[in-house]
Amino acid sequence: MLLFLLKRIGAGLVLLVAATAGTFFLAHLAISDPTAALLGSTATPEQQAALALKLGLDRPVLVQFLDWAGHAVRGDLGLSWRSFQPVSEQILQRVPVTLSIVTFALLLAALFGTLFGVLAGLNPGGVFDRVIQAVTVVLFALPGFWLSLVLVLWFAVRLQWFPAIGYVSPADSMTGWLRSITRPSVSLALGAIVMVAEQLRNQVMTVSRLDYIRTLKSRGLPKSRIRMHVLRNAAPTAITVLAVMFTGLLSGAVVVEAIFSMPGLGQLTQSSAQMGDIPMLLGITAATVFFLVLVYILLDIVLGWVNPKVRIR
Amino acid sequence: MTTRKASRLMGAFAALLLGLAGAAAAAEDDLRIGNLLDVTSWDPALADIGFDGPYLSAVYDPLVIIDETGKVLPALATDWQFSEDRLTLTMNLRQGVRFSDGTPFNADAAVANLEHLKAGARSSEAYHNVKSVRKVDDDTVEIALSARDDSMLYLMGLGRSYMISPDVIAKGTAAAAPVGSGPYTLEKALPGAEYDFTRVPGHWDAATYPYDRVAVFPILDPTARHNAMLSGQVNVSYGDPVNNQQAEAAGWNVSQSPAGWVGLMFLDHEGKRLPPLKDVRVRQALNHAFNGPAILKAVSHEAGKPANQVFAVGRPGHVAALDNRYPYDFEKAKALMAEAGFADGFDVTMPMAPLFQPWQPVTEQTLGLLNIRVQWDNMQTPDYQVNAPKYPMFIAFIAMDGDPIANLARQVTMPQWYNLEPEYAKFPEIAALVEKAQTLTGDDQIKAVEALNTKLTEEAWWSVWYQAANVYHAQPGIRVTGVPGMMFPTLRFIKRG
Repeated sequence: MLLFLLKRIGAGLVLLVAATAGTFFLAHLAISDPTAALLGSTATPEQQAALALKLGLDRPVLVQFLDWAGHAVRGDLGLSWRSFQPVSEQILQRVPVTLSIVTFALLLAALFGTLFGVLAGLNPGGVFDRVIQAVTVVLFALPGFWLSLVLVLWFAVRLQWFPAIGYVSPADSMTGWLRSITRPSVSLALGAIVMVAEQLRNQVMTVSRLDYIRTLKSRGLPKSRIRMHVLRNAAPTAITVLAVMFTGLLSGAVVVEAIFSMPGLGQLTQSSAQMGDIPMLLGITAATVFFLVLVYILLDIVLGWVNPKVRIR
Repeated sequence: MTTRKASRLMGAFAALLLGLAGAAAAAEDDLRIGNLLDVTSWDPALADIGFDGPYLSAVYDPLVIIDETGKVLPALATDWQFSEDRLTLTMNLRQGVRFSDGTPFNADAAVANLEHLKAGARSSEAYHNVKSVRKVDDDTVEIALSARDDSMLYLMGLGRSYMISPDVIAKGTAAAAPVGSGPYTLEKALPGAEYDFTRVPGHWDAATYPYDRVAVFPILDPTARHNAMLSGQVNVSYGDPVNNQQAEAAGWNVSQSPAGWVGLMFLDHEGKRLPPLKDVRVRQALNHAFNGPAILKAVSHEAGKPANQVFAVGRPGHVAALDNRYPYDFEKAKALMAEAGFADGFDVTMPMAPLFQPWQPVTEQTLGLLNIRVQWDNMQTPDYQVNAPKYPMFIAFIAMDGDPIANLARQVTMPQWYNLEPEYAKFPEIAALVEKAQTLTGDDQIKAVEALNTKLTEEAWWSVWYQAANVYHAQPGIRVTGVPGMMFPTLRFIKRG
């Protein structure tokens, strides 16, 4: 297991280097002279040149990347070109917002996806299964941004149960925090719930038809124990889907943060890209890849714990 | 269902929602602004005038302010006077003002600030002609100019004379947090989301600011801004003209102010890079060929005014007769092209970035109908500002100023990102009119600017399709007055009413 983990961490590091290098070189290719956007249209060429010198833009691009990478491995992600504040500080301010939305959405997806998937899978063709199938089709067909807008109009504008925009830190108000993240999380989770439910339903149906389940039934085991066996063997699929979904939810958060005006990583990515703030973009990429690698390693550990068959020696 | 019925139903639904939102809105002791962008910097030398006004005007006092017509009025500078040759400006300063760190505002502080602003990448635009600044006595400063500059005071009033504690300038921490003498102090900041300000007791200009608390929310997405208005979470917002009808149906106050002109920028009137542009008939054809009012309706949702000039409608320097100097007349455009010897058109390469894509199809189609073949060089928006002037012509959205001399400088005479090497001096008639406008004073100066404006429009110096406007939505009881030159006005322009 230790060797497996080390291999996973090694692969994660390779991914981290590849992603940050890709971001760095693509950003430099797309933004030829960031000083214009950073200083505004009134800056003189001399002021632009002075800023370029200050930012080290006069050096070869490869040297700039190696310099950044050298500092990054020591935990120094540099200064934002826009605010001249540490990148890591600004990312740490934003991470709780995005993680709050994504984690809450993931919890909702796990809870309701599992519930609906299992209920539908254990009674295929039943009323509940048919309802779930119909809802799945509808929710798959509806665009996420449209659902988000409907949620805003109904729950924030019409009923005023939730704020239309903004984020409240749990340090300021726990209920305020829950109110601020509920709608964005629900917007994100709706698609995820039906995806988990559908996957789990199919897996439960497949496992239920396997020989060993039939054998257990013929031995007269109680239904509850048989279901436990079914669920334990169907669980890895749902867990894998949830972990993969984490990536999708992170991407979805960019749109949701814009619709609900939440100061998360998505919004920071958007504004940094517009301003040509390359250190900030690199920091965000590094943080995102770090989280993804962490989630996938945790996924492997959880899968091994849930189902010994998938443990890797 | 007919379109009319459908729109009535939608209007009724919107009005219902808006009514509910309005009913739920709290008593308006608080001003809650849905702005478009986050504050660029707390350092006034690095801040942008565009959308930074609400943030900076909350925490800083300027030396001078402007009113909505562009007239310069006192603030921390109580009065001023130019020397006879207009090369020295003496300003008397308000006494008894202190910054939030306890440092007094005096001539030393003003000198430190003016030198800081002159060196700033963004603020220096107001101080190009400043040679030196010196303290005369504790409440008087003197600004020496290397050349007469009639737009300096206007630009200072627009947002280029905010005073901050000299201590933070000395320490180099001006961008970290605001330390000013403004009507409010920053109580809480959640960058990218919310800035809360509370009133400073006993501020010298407290009567101008009727609200005890101010919150500014940067909300990039127009739908999110509108939803925040609908829910009552904000009571003033940078409006999306698409929602004007709903806003008016709900009784919101909807106001507009000139923002910038939209059209084609010509940078090669001598025809060195694109020979056809040398011929005024070609440039005039490119004015007649575009249906400005239709583009204004389709792209800018009627937020603005049709115009063929670069001086803001209703502001000094504007000539009403020029607004329809080039009515849409495609046959005339074709005839002018033929007359100039370009019936078969010509090839042109133009830059393109996402910000200008809404106008790309109409440009390509219109030019195509004149047999002008366009090749687009795609780039990111930040690169557009760097690269666009390298092309002989490009699609432009250029901000306009309310002050005629400042507008003349930025549109014609001063190097700008969109006009790195102004060409006016190579055209004697235009150069003479420019000189006259820059030499005269008072009403004579305005008349000279109008004459210059007429000449430039006749010469089809640009192809101006329309003047786009900034739109502001405010809950009943609040009124926003837009100011040309500011995308979002400073707090003094948001009143009860």
